[in-house]
Amino acid sequence: MGVVVATGALSYFPGSANAFNPQRLRNSMNRLYGTRGVQTLEEWFALLNRLRGANVATQLRNVNGFFNRRVLWRDDIQIWGQEDYWATPLETMGKGEGDCEDYSIAKYITLKALGVSGNKLRMIYVRARIGRSQITQAHMVLGFYQTPASEPLVLDNLVASIQPASRRNDLDPVFSFNSSGLWAGNSNNSRADPMARLSRWRSVVSRMQEQGFV
Amino acid sequence: MSLIKQLWLTVIAILLLAFIGSLTISVTSSRHYIEQEVQIKNADNANALALSMTQLEKDDVSMELLVAAQFDTGHYRRIELRSPEGEILHLREAEEHIDDVPQWFINLVSFEVSPGQAVVQDGWSQYGTLTLESQHSFAYRTLWRSSLEMTGWFALAGMVSFLLAWWIVRTIRKPLVDVIQQAKSISARRFTTTEEPYTLELRQVVRAMNTLSGAVHEMLSEETSKLDVLRRRLQEDTTTKALTRESLLERLKRNLESNSHRASGALALVRVEQLAELNETLGRRGADTLLTSLVQHLREVGEHYGDADVGRLNGSDFMLIIPSATDLESVAQALNTHLNSLKASINDDVVLASVLADYQEGDTLSQRLAALDSTLAAAEARTDCLTMITQGDQRHALCTTQEEWREAIDQAMAAGVQLASYPVRDSKGGLIHYEAPSRLYMQGSWRNAGIFMPWVHRLQRDDALDMAVLEAALTHISKHHQPVGINVSARSLRDVHFIKHLTQRLRQAGRATQWLWMELPEHVAIHDLASFRLLCRELQPLGVKVGLEHVGSEFNKLADLHDLGLSFLKFDASLVSGIESSTDQQTILRGMATLAHSLGILAIAEGVKHEAEAEALFDLGLDGITGPGVK
Repeated sequence: MGVVVATGALSYFPGSANAFNPQRLRNSMNRLYGTRGVQTLEEWFALLNRLRGANVATQLRNVNGFFNRRVLWRDDIQIWGQEDYWATPLETMGKGEGDCEDYSIAKYITLKALGVSGNKLRMIYVRARIGRSQITQAHMVLGFYQTPASEPLVLDNLVASIQPASRRNDLDPVFSFNSSGLWAGNSNNSRADPMARLSRWRSVVSRMQEQGFV
Repeated sequence: MSLIKQLWLTVIAILLLAFIGSLTISVTSSRHYIEQEVQIKNADNANALALSMTQLEKDDVSMELLVAAQFDTGHYRRIELRSPEGEILHLREAEEHIDDVPQWFINLVSFEVSPGQAVVQDGWSQYGTLTLESQHSFAYRTLWRSSLEMTGWFALAGMVSFLLAWWIVRTIRKPLVDVIQQAKSISARRFTTTEEPYTLELRQVVRAMNTLSGAVHEMLSEETSKLDVLRRRLQEDTTTKALTRESLLERLKRNLESNSHRASGALALVRVEQLAELNETLGRRGADTLLTSLVQHLREVGEHYGDADVGRLNGSDFMLIIPSATDLESVAQALNTHLNSLKASINDDVVLASVLADYQEGDTLSQRLAALDSTLAAAEARTDCLTMITQGDQRHALCTTQEEWREAIDQAMAAGVQLASYPVRDSKGGLIHYEAPSRLYMQGSWRNAGIFMPWVHRLQRDDALDMAVLEAALTHISKHHQPVGINVSARSLRDVHFIKHLTQRLRQAGRATQWLWMELPEHVAIHDLASFRLLCRELQPLGVKVGLEHVGSEFNKLADLHDLGLSFLKFDASLVSGIESSTDQQTILRGMATLAHSLGILAIAEGVKHEAEAEALFDLGLDGITGPGVK
């Protein structure tokens, strides 16, 4: 029975497992957040169109700016009513609100959609000091590595501009990951895979597939 | 395809389907599950290790220690740390341990698990990429074991199912085969009955067929007894139930020409003296009682020797024919004893004169009757009423002593048997088969069976002669492709070894058996029904046509033979002789032929002497004729 359902779902969305599908995104957005969300989504499509073919620096700057401007930083508990919820870019854009990892995910996905290699992008867990106080807070930023060994550029929602990591004394890196480590190899078809619900990253990836990002 | 074969195929197909299906599903789902588990473990452990390493100082020793500690205490195939440039910083690797799993199974299952990967950070920069693979060779063994166990379990289940199936097939097969056999028999107009089987559906079929057979049997019994009443009225004396003169003399004639051991034997003539006076003294009824018990006593004398006939030649003369009786003295003694006890029981004043004579092949009726008559005159003159034996003219005999006969017969049989041939023809003159009595070359010429058969019988050479005749018949068939009819003697029929021997020989004969007809006298078959049944059962499957000859006096018992699948009946000459002018005989033969046809049996008339008889017989619906008038 399970086999039948899975093949049925796959054939209903042909090639949906790993394809960027604007029409599906529009439908998902319209269904979940109405016309306001669709408006943001159209702006996002316009951004993608504008930046396609531009150099990486331009892409990074514009994408960083797009989300920093459009999304309001709030805690997950206030947005989603739960401690830690990883939202998909669609959810982030739809709500117009997001937590630090929601920014990072949205930027990560957008840059990948623009053709930036996933190997160069890493989500980095950092300890952040807010303002001049000594209070530190768990935070996440997106790092851009020109080469694996090079110093990353940091795309952050606390600071509007993109800076090399060495300039960010307020951030203290702890660990990093990207899709290659967590979402590896043969589990591409993860929507029917029960394992997808076990990991936050896998969970967001599977929702993104449903909505039409990847 | 037969039902039983289908059943077997179904059982095998179901078992195979169940086995292959569950094995495939079990292996596939286990494989998937194991792959998932190992995948998760790889990813999680890689990230956990990378996280720990990220927190440490990035000196070589600490890094190596961490990799080594993780590798040594866990179950890993490979843990490696590569620098961002791709060069190996630290590597721990183990062999795969797959000891007792065949390679083809590993190739078939071949887990696809990608290694876990995580990046170790050194501050903002990447220190290296950690790749981690868990040991999953154990899973092959687990999977192999469980497959083996499942195979074993299915082998057991298969055996049990086969036992069950075998048992079911066995309980179905026998009644099924029986039902088929019975249906075949009935379609061949052999109305057999069989035991009702346990299986419900088959039971109903068998019951229906049994009912049919029973109805046929009943109908036959009724019809044959009606015909028998007619026959008796025609052929038997109404008072004493002895044969009429014509019937008796016809029998004697038949015996003389029979080419069998019946061709010689003893004749007894008993005259009740002064019957007219006895009628007065004893009364009409008393005299009838006397005559009836005389006939009864004569029958008893004859029964001692086998198939005997008693007839009333005229009002006071009674004759007993005992075929194959040779020792006239002992017959005389038996006859005396019986006649004396008869007199004692009725009236001592009754005078019974009796004479004995032998008869043999080549004798004529009139000559024998004359011999008896002349001696009877002498017997009547005697006062002691003892049986007299005719001292008639000595006839020429081939041999005089038993020893000489034995020698002559053995020699002749060793030299070979020749078959005479008398045709049996259908209404269009076509050949049905040749009757083929045997001939032996003795003392310079070929001798008819009537001459030596009594001695063959006496010397117990019947079965040897029967086999020799069979060989000669098979030779004739293979040479001329003509149907040949041969006889089986009463003694051979009783001999189980002979029948076995006969069957074996016929199995080797191939298609020749299609042309072989075998016949026995009616009374032999009726009196040894069990042996006759055996003979039919053995020979009919080989294509041999089995039938009866001299059918008449025991036709009413034919109902008991309705399930034997007889091919033909030859009606006795005593029913045939003078058929063209006797309406009673016509009624009887017409009825017999009709009954025979209703069972799919050919009706053939014996002793046909001339064209008028032949014509009348075919008009009555008989299928074939044979006799001196048939060429």
